[in-house]
Amino acid sequence: MRVLLAVAAMTAATGSVQAQSSPAQSSPEQSSPAQASFSGATASFAGAGQPGEWTSQARDYANTRFSPLDQITRETVGKLQVAWTFSDGTQYGHEGAPLVVGDTMYVVSPYPDTAYALDLSQAGPAIKWKFDPNPSPQAIGKACCDAVIRGWAYADGKLIYNLLDDHTVAVDAATGKEVWRTQMDDVAKGVTMTQSAFVADGKVFVGNSGGEMGVNGWLAALDVATGKEIWRAHAVGPDKDVRIDGTFKPFYDWMKGKDLGVTTWPADQWHTGAGASWGFVSYDEQTKTIYYGTSNPGPRVPLQRPGDNLWTSAMFARDPQTGMAKWGYQFTPHDQWDYDGVNEAVLLDMPIDGKMRQTLVHFDRNTYAYTIDRNTGEVLLADNFAYQNWSTGFDFKTGRPIVDPALEPKPEVKLDRVCPPDIGQKDWEPPAFSPDTGLLYVGVFNICMGLTNHEVSYIAGTPYDGMEMERFSVDGPDGNWGGLLAWDPAHGKKIWEIPEKFMVMSGVIATASDLIFYGTTDGWFRAADAWTGKVLWSKKLGSGIIGQPITYLGPDGRQYVAVAAGVGGAAMVQSGRPGFLPRGNTIYVFSVNGETVQTAADAAPEAIGAVKQP
Amino acid sequence: MSIGRLVIALILLVAVGSATAGWLVMSHRQAQNRIEVAYPEGVAAVVPLGISAGQAPTLNIGVANPLADDPNSVQDGKKLFRTMNCASCHGYGATGGMGPNLTDTAWRYGGTPIEVYKSIYEGRPQGMPAWGNALPPQTVWQLVAYIQSLGGTFAARPVSYTSPSPANPDQASQTGQKQ
Repeated sequence: MRVLLAVAAMTAATGSVQAQSSPAQSSPEQSSPAQASFSGATASFAGAGQPGEWTSQARDYANTRFSPLDQITRETVGKLQVAWTFSDGTQYGHEGAPLVVGDTMYVVSPYPDTAYALDLSQAGPAIKWKFDPNPSPQAIGKACCDAVIRGWAYADGKLIYNLLDDHTVAVDAATGKEVWRTQMDDVAKGVTMTQSAFVADGKVFVGNSGGEMGVNGWLAALDVATGKEIWRAHAVGPDKDVRIDGTFKPFYDWMKGKDLGVTTWPADQWHTGAGASWGFVSYDEQTKTIYYGTSNPGPRVPLQRPGDNLWTSAMFARDPQTGMAKWGYQFTPHDQWDYDGVNEAVLLDMPIDGKMRQTLVHFDRNTYAYTIDRNTGEVLLADNFAYQNWSTGFDFKTGRPIVDPALEPKPEVKLDRVCPPDIGQKDWEPPAFSPDTGLLYVGVFNICMGLTNHEVSYIAGTPYDGMEMERFSVDGPDGNWGGLLAWDPAHGKKIWEIPEKFMVMSGVIATASDLIFYGTTDGWFRAADAWTGKVLWSKKLGSGIIGQPITYLGPDGRQYVAVAAGVGGAAMVQSGRPGFLPRGNTIYVFSVNGETVQTAADAAPEAIGAVKQP
Repeated sequence: MSIGRLVIALILLVAVGSATAGWLVMSHRQAQNRIEVAYPEGVAAVVPLGISAGQAPTLNIGVANPLADDPNSVQDGKKLFRTMNCASCHGYGATGGMGPNLTDTAWRYGGTPIEVYKSIYEGRPQGMPAWGNALPPQTVWQLVAYIQSLGGTFAARPVSYTSPSPANPDQASQTGQKQ
């Protein structure tokens, strides 16, 4: 019986998945709660708020983006309609997830980083307060990839987030008044902050951006109450800066040794070696460990920096109290294509070869999906989740990908087709995990680049870059640029994929009713069956979607789904393609039939001066 | 090697310092403009309808690029455009990226040669570094010559908005046309 259902599900996946909007067809036959998980993976949902809330970007410390809500089902999702919208008027990419705490939704616009609290108990809803931090406009031109913000955090009655001009600010969630503001770096040197602040263990963790600007990358811990810096760990430089001591235990021998953040670089070049941290942070409450990735090395021209360039394009496991590194692992040694390692770690426990392992799953821009023992840094699985041609395989003995020498860039020599391009086959857009299916759902790209490198000099405040590129579909001029795929992290394989004409650069969420939601960069917001990938509902929004959806219960007890439509960021590499939408700035909130809070004040106002009917 | 390094370091120091200064200078200058600039009768707005901002009248509009007739300047400017990392922001074809497109006719701070020179020299509020202390005038003019060669800039002579009639072909040719 179970086998039959699984077969039926697979047939549905291969046969009926459509790239374009299909009218909502409900499929009541597919409710099959007895179906077995593909991977047996589970997660701790520690750090999540109440079931109806969405209190952090990833909803929980493990970064699952899984909601226990199940009011909206595979049967009713076809009736979703817009309940209300909110526009912030800004024109940069909208990449964050709104937060819902109690009866209030908190949103922060991209530059100028204005925060809003929306009262969900009022029809409309009503703006409770607005906070304008007035960051320096200088930051706009120092941000490599649009003046974005990838999210914000809520903790202890404060909304905490990074400003593009290198400050972290905390705002009183009740009043909208600034509580503290800490300067973290100098924007004139090309450093910006676009990362989403992450709160755990009483601290807020923030990192810098500027991998293309020759910055010195770092992640710092601030006190939630005061904003005071507790520690700062760099990705490059001597062990003291990187916060490495005798307790540091990388799994692979080549990552062991003194001051590798200096010695794997040409003399003194680590100072401008980047390794910025602008992705999401995750946290294991049991072992008290935070996990995060580091960006590409600088400059992006590899011939100017022979060596492995540690600890760029890598991941760290650290003690949140002290910042000391527990282990590190470099995904792309001597990163030659700007693949970074900033993408998130989703913390899952799963059986691998019959043994339960505590793992982290990481979809790297280099197109390997890693399942890693999160206590040791050992790579258990490394499989390609999409098309790539720079690596011919993976050496499990050393934990290093094998590089095709033909695709190593040389200055002023054009490489016609390197896949993926600089932004990877998956960028920072975060996946979702469903404990029912045991699968991860991730938005991906299907693209390549033509690449010419130019030698560069470091000039503070200007790009330390040197990559001249154009991007195109893996499959030629008419090919798709993206998709949404379901990934079994215990077996390292794709279960199904929904092909998309445009890149999928939105976050994904999964619900207890076995739905997933995601958006495309040409503005389709979709719900699909988590088991089969069958698209059950689609709505075209006013701009491309690179935001992270959420779902929550309103004060009226209804389940809502919300997402921002405001294309920008790396998605703009498609701006010349027909069908690409203009920029936008609207959060769309959906409910079944569009029903929402009605109050007395919401009743139609009475006209004045109208003649009464006799 | 070490001298080259020293030169670059020097350039950096100066560039960083003057970037901040450039921002202050700009704010001050904008405030001054708002107060002091008086527009002739009949001119409805700062940017008259139908005329690109790149051609709006500002001070010193009449200064021409002294290297405009030097055939090597465009090539030297193009080289500088890469070595000073201009290309990384504005694109290797100068069509825009982190920074604005320099080949079209939209200029936030004016598109005559002297205005482009001033933007390079002073820096601009949204992240353009101030190069005035790092690069000698000759070098800045070479960069301007390269940018002029891309076709989006405007002529160095002042423009009258009151009588752009075909009777005066010299003026008519300047209204929004690329050089």
